[in-house]
Amino acid sequence: MPPEALPPILSARSARLGFDRPVIGPLTLEIPAGARWALTGPNGAGKSLLLKAITGQARVHGGLFQPAPAARISLLAQDHHRPQPWPLSGHDWFRAMGATTPAHAGVRALLDRRLDRLSGGQWQLLRLAAVLNSHADDASSQRLILLDEPANHLDAEVRSDAIELIKTVPTQTTLLITSHDDAFLRALELEIHPLAEYLDAR
Amino acid sequence: MPGDLLLIPFLAGVLITILLALAGAGLFLRGSVWQALALGQWAAVGGVFASILHWPVLPVALLLGGGVMALLQRSRERERLPLAVFLAGLAAVTLLAANFAQASLAAAAWAEGQLYFAGPGELQAAVGLALLTVLMIPVLRRIWLHAQIAPDVAAASTPVLWQRLGEIVWLVAAIVLGSMVLGLPAALATLLLPAWGAAWLARNLTGLLLWTQGIAMVGFLTAWAISLPLDQPFAPVLVLVNVVLALGARIAAMLR
Repeated sequence: MPPEALPPILSARSARLGFDRPVIGPLTLEIPAGARWALTGPNGAGKSLLLKAITGQARVHGGLFQPAPAARISLLAQDHHRPQPWPLSGHDWFRAMGATTPAHAGVRALLDRRLDRLSGGQWQLLRLAAVLNSHADDASSQRLILLDEPANHLDAEVRSDAIELIKTVPTQTTLLITSHDDAFLRALELEIHPLAEYLDAR
Repeated sequence: MPGDLLLIPFLAGVLITILLALAGAGLFLRGSVWQALALGQWAAVGGVFASILHWPVLPVALLLGGGVMALLQRSRERERLPLAVFLAGLAAVTLLAANFAQASLAAAAWAEGQLYFAGPGELQAAVGLALLTVLMIPVLRRIWLHAQIAPDVAAASTPVLWQRLGEIVWLVAAIVLGSMVLGLPAALATLLLPAWGAAWLARNLTGLLLWTQGIAMVGFLTAWAISLPLDQPFAPVLVLVNVVLALGARIAAMLR
């Protein structure tokens, strides 16, 4: 089914989101299935909170907030602290994420390495590849991929690899990205949506 | 080995070492080593309490250990709460031992270990848990791997409730049985030290599990070989051997 024939992958109407108490809202928006959105706004605007609400890590305190029930959601969090020592390899990480390994040579070169011995950029690239390929073998499911500041920690060596990986995501998959890196967003050719435009909507 | 008299304790010790080492690798991956301290101590409280009331030790120890694990699983506090629960358990054992003669004997047994006196009952329990473990290994690996993901989120399905509960029950059973037979300090040393040493040497998850088993087994056999001919209590010897092996693994990793 073409993405435009599907219902929105996320519908929010006057939603208030937060953790112990509401932090942002009321929020009203609809994200169409298959969309490629970059969500922008200053620090503290609530971009990461919105992504966490979609995954169920943050709470909905009121209003309607409805991800598509059949959507398979994966999230690249803004940071992922690595314990020391951490005796897991790239292959283990892909297994943990339920992800198929991509053909990308830059990622495959990292699969046999220990996660705690990767550079910050390599670790970010590996996590990104795993999120993009989590549950990717099930073509029948509706996928929503959330990337919270994916350009963080990417050094020049792996930045172009990350852009290449994100661009190869299948068209029926919905992408929602937050980033302060304008050059990164331009390279990905995403629709830019300032979060403020959807807040305080009536 | 001096005759068949020690065959059952030896076999029970080998099996329990394998189980505790595997549980230790899981606790290491989950970052839950403090929970092991609290759980083991409250299993000891259960055992001492059962001895006062002349109840069967294993079910009571399992019940209290399981209750503590259930409490700790509900909290996000990973260090202070388990430490407080551990200290409360230590105080409970000390008070029971101070007030009941039977409890004093039982507390000493939990502290020193009773490996040389392990009988067919302990061996059967270890064999039963080992067989269950063989069936559960794919589930345990999946849960321990899944525990690494946060704060990222995978689109793939998460372990279901019965798998998560099964892992907790298995951990409780391994730690309680291990503490009962080896003694609490020796069981905790087998839980915590081989996995920590292995974590510096292993290349991946499978390597971690194999290195942990290797270090734990060398530790058990070395402690057995030292303590019997020198007529030393087994548990403290095992603790010291595991400390040396884990530090050796750490140094070996630094040198390569």
